[in-house]
Amino acid sequence: MSDAATPTPTVPRGSGASSSPVADAWRTLRRRPDTIAAAAVLVFFAVMAAFPRLFTDTSPRSCPIREARTAPQGWGGEHPLGTDALGCDVLATMVHGVRPSLLLAIVVVGVSLVIGVTLGLLAGYYLGWVDYLVSRTVEVFLVIPLLLAALLVLSLFKGVDLGAGTFDVILLPAVVLILFGWMPYARYVRAATLEAKNLDYVTAARSLGASDLRIMGRHVLPNAIGTVTALLPTSVAGVISAEAVLSFLGIGVRPPATSWGIQIEQGSQWVLGGSPHVLLAPLICLVATVLALVVLGDALRDALDPRLSS
Amino acid sequence: MGRYIFRRVLQAVGTLLLVMLLLHLLTTVAIQLNGNPAQAFFGDKVASPAQIAVVEQRFNLDDPCFDQVGNPCLGPFVERLGQYAQGDFGTNLRGREVSDIVATAAPNTLRLFCVVLVTWLALGMVLGSVAARWRGSPGDHGIRLTSVLIDAFPVFVLLIVYRYVVAVPLSRWAEETFGEDSWPPYWFKPSFDPEHPWATVLVPGILLGLAGSAAFIRLVRAGQLESYQGDHVRTARSKGLGERHVVVHHVVRNSSVPVVTAVGLTFTEALGGAVITEGLMNIYGMGGVLWGAVRDDDVGLVLGIVTLLAAVTVVVMIVVDIAYALLDPRIRYE
Amino acid sequence: MTHARAGRRAPLATVAACAAVALALAGCTPSQTADDDAEGPVTLETWISQDMETLFPGDAGAYDNISVLDVVYDGLVRYDPETTEPYNYVAESIEPNDDNTVWTIKIKPDLTFQNGEPVDAEAFARAWNYTADGDNGLYSGYFFSIIQGYDEMQPETDDDGEIVKEGAADELSGLNVVDPLTLEVTLNSPFAGFATMLGYTGFFPVAQECLDDVEKCALEPIGNGPFRVTEWSQGQELTAERWADYPLDETPEYDTIHWTEYATGETAGWADFKTGDLDLSFPPTAEVEAAKNDPELAERYIERPGAALTYLGFSGYTEGPWNDKEFRKAISMAIDREGIIGSLGSGQATPADSWVVPGGVPGGEAGTCEWCVFDPEAAKAALEKAGGWPEGEKLQISLGDDEAEVEYFTAIGNSIEEVLGIPYELNIDPDYFTTRAEQGYDGMFRNNWFPDYPLNENYLSFYASGEPGAGHWGWYSEEFEDKLDEAARAGSLDESVALYQEAEAILAEEFPTIPFRWSFSATYYSERLDNVILNPFSGAPILREIEVSAS
Repeated sequence: MSDAATPTPTVPRGSGASSSPVADAWRTLRRRPDTIAAAAVLVFFAVMAAFPRLFTDTSPRSCPIREARTAPQGWGGEHPLGTDALGCDVLATMVHGVRPSLLLAIVVVGVSLVIGVTLGLLAGYYLGWVDYLVSRTVEVFLVIPLLLAALLVLSLFKGVDLGAGTFDVILLPAVVLILFGWMPYARYVRAATLEAKNLDYVTAARSLGASDLRIMGRHVLPNAIGTVTALLPTSVAGVISAEAVLSFLGIGVRPPATSWGIQIEQGSQWVLGGSPHVLLAPLICLVATVLALVVLGDALRDALDPRLSS
Repeated sequence: MGRYIFRRVLQAVGTLLLVMLLLHLLTTVAIQLNGNPAQAFFGDKVASPAQIAVVEQRFNLDDPCFDQVGNPCLGPFVERLGQYAQGDFGTNLRGREVSDIVATAAPNTLRLFCVVLVTWLALGMVLGSVAARWRGSPGDHGIRLTSVLIDAFPVFVLLIVYRYVVAVPLSRWAEETFGEDSWPPYWFKPSFDPEHPWATVLVPGILLGLAGSAAFIRLVRAGQLESYQGDHVRTARSKGLGERHVVVHHVVRNSSVPVVTAVGLTFTEALGGAVITEGLMNIYGMGGVLWGAVRDDDVGLVLGIVTLLAAVTVVVMIVVDIAYALLDPRIRYE
Repeated sequence: MTHARAGRRAPLATVAACAAVALALAGCTPSQTADDDAEGPVTLETWISQDMETLFPGDAGAYDNISVLDVVYDGLVRYDPETTEPYNYVAESIEPNDDNTVWTIKIKPDLTFQNGEPVDAEAFARAWNYTADGDNGLYSGYFFSIIQGYDEMQPETDDDGEIVKEGAADELSGLNVVDPLTLEVTLNSPFAGFATMLGYTGFFPVAQECLDDVEKCALEPIGNGPFRVTEWSQGQELTAERWADYPLDETPEYDTIHWTEYATGETAGWADFKTGDLDLSFPPTAEVEAAKNDPELAERYIERPGAALTYLGFSGYTEGPWNDKEFRKAISMAIDREGIIGSLGSGQATPADSWVVPGGVPGGEAGTCEWCVFDPEAAKAALEKAGGWPEGEKLQISLGDDEAEVEYFTAIGNSIEEVLGIPYELNIDPDYFTTRAEQGYDGMFRNNWFPDYPLNENYLSFYASGEPGAGHWGWYSEEFEDKLDEAARAGSLDESVALYQEAEAILAEEFPTIPFRWSFSATYYSERLDNVILNPFSGAPILREIEVSAS
């Protein structure tokens, strides 16, 4: 692309400016078949999360133990994907497990993004003691391993009765993952803010008497947000995987609520016990989702960062 | 440079103290809310208040502040800091020296990390370079897809499947093929063996490294792509330097900067992987010890180990920063 | 190759890598020479779990240190592998007086510790005094509460649980060393089962050298048994070698026992067993079927019903439907014990319908629990009688964070929900013991009991809470506690056992807890082993009986 060689960033235009780069990005995205496939996978699971009844009539909480580990019976059978070690229908558990998994990922990434962007922006813009404070905090949180922190915090709240709504179930893991997940955004945004702050038009805006808030919101943020946007799909994928690990260690979503992580954890012991389907069904879903998200993230990065495209 | 390092070290000490305080507060609140670990000592037995009080003394948790929710327990914390300053890292609840535990556990974890690191760097550098060099080729797509696929696969599933499905037949096969006294059977042992630490940590380390390698491949690829388009590469090419020289001197060298940074950052993350790997492959290491310590509300052990770990992490970060300066001539510190 | 050269020329990026490789090579080479030797000592390879902390007899109360100490120390009595009856071992004779309050123990002559100190009455007295002393805070201290003078050795605490005064005495006044080989024990109250307790770890003798440095002795025990601990790398492995001068006769032929420590419990070693690195192991649940169907493995298998009871208790100290006996009956009859155990444990457990293990200990009988049978209709009827379950509430089921248990209790919850329509939630609590001791639960929770010595009393006495609202379940019955006292005072062990059975009947009638499952012990062993016998009581293979052929 022609502007790859020009090192100075293009100046974002006023109010109507956003349409053009987004349209550019959209056009680039559309041309790649892998992106289309990835998007289709994500839409499929989003529909599953929103309308689980479309996919199964069986309740995931009906688990007659004497029917445990039935082999998959195919479409039309009572248990199309068989039952797990507790006698619950694998398909129903999986379909109903999408919602907590996806919701957790979106909540975690969303909230961390807001925290990270705010702190990063403030630190990069004001520098001085604000920056010092934010940078030290980032460092402190980076030094503490996530799992250690997760266990500590989760054990602190373990006695708290949160209820069993979809949101209540994911609340604890969400809090922990947010607490230890906002730092990268803060770092990126801070760096981008530092760069953008000294651009000519920002200096100009400031000398014209624009308020700090206006400068940050209108001029600095749009510049910084590009890099972070490309990070998002990968981050969502990361949270989905992290939830599986937390479940494996017994500190994720609490049974009897289900999530893919719990299903994979429970299924992994039965790989050899003649019931690999208990593991394979949720594992394939998880891998497919993560894969789709990463592919989308790659495409988005290429589209938003013109320097990388050929 | 000297002044920069000095300032960086000073900052690091501050960070360390903050981390310790934060962890101290968390563990203290955990004890205050959940009750004293002395109770757990008696398990199924019903213990009298006197028995519990004595065990609290044994566990060094007899300061009344541990019973008062909200009390930050700064007294014991300051006392502990004083001991650390004198090089005494205290004991765990059951009176075992923290330094002794670390001395046994740390080498195993370090071995694991070494293998992981080599796997990361090797895979990242080789596959990332190949993908960047022949950008857009089927090879490039293949590498990216495979790396993402491995990344998406939960590492514990990988390890469980390896341990229970692959390792046993592989180890038997190796024993039959190469004999009992050769190395191959040890490589495929399903569990860690303290007598042959390197041989038995090799495969688990590679598997753990495999799981995290996608990020490195992506980093190297992106970095090198940028370099290929950079002015200095164009200049070098126009000077008529051979392609090999250009790749080695200008592309690979420049792209190693972000890789080094990532090594520093992923260090703490790898500890999470270590908890799982150590648990599944029965390696007595820092991850597992720390995990157990947190579960038992073992304040002394948690703080002792995390302090040591954080110290190492901070040192790694500083080293990375310095390596940064040496690798990238554009960065200079004053 | 371009990339290889690239690696060499980008020095810093690969410093770590090179160092690691160098270290790897350095670490590898030297150990290669020293390895198997056909003429070497015969070693038994077995396992324990990683969190074993101590080998001091008075402080050891877990499966692991008990099974290690069983070969390192000898007790006054040992238990018959078939019947669990105690027989004298270090003791020459153990005789009570007429009302079972004063016991005279005669010790066999010329026995020594592994450091040469004599094993005499003094060795037992010093061990018991040290363990019983409340100021030392040892695990097994409470066992000595039946001996006179125990109370004077305990520290005093104020209302906040802070110690205000150390224990006044340092010695049990009920212990009297009559002569070097005779020990006289005076109990607080009559107890016909005293001799049965004496084979327990907490009653082993210790050497003076051991008491002089208890911390060292906890890591390097000085025993009087057939094996001496030679190396313990805590968290990794433990080695014990046969003590050449062992004077008694219960010692095996092989030379060394090597325990590998596992992080994740007993099933962790299965893969190692299959590669031939372990001599004893048991498969994880998922592989039980496959192992059973392997004809070659089936020959090297031994099983035995275990003595540990998993049961459900309720928070009698909080308001709730569970304070109604009918409700507890409903829950009990709604649990499909057979189905759950059949599916999750692949049959490696026994559904429980009594509070004392049937057959395993004197006085244990099956079927004492009338309502421990899966009966959905009766369960629904009982729930109705109890007034039903409050609409919109959830039954909280609390337990520790053991993975296998979480699965079992999910199944229990499912079974209750399926039959009674009571929704449940699991409260997985890493600090389970603490919370339970502090009466912190609200609803139902898991309990487990692993008996200390083979007598039905041991399964019952901990229900005595002393006053209404106290104890783990907030349960109190004066009738029950009177019966326990009466049984302890009985003239003979047989009478005593019968009275304890009556106490169990009271428990069965009041129904404070719901028995769920008896443990089940089984192990596979390697081709080298022979005569593998499981301890009927702990379920552990009796190491002293095993025969190992040199490979």
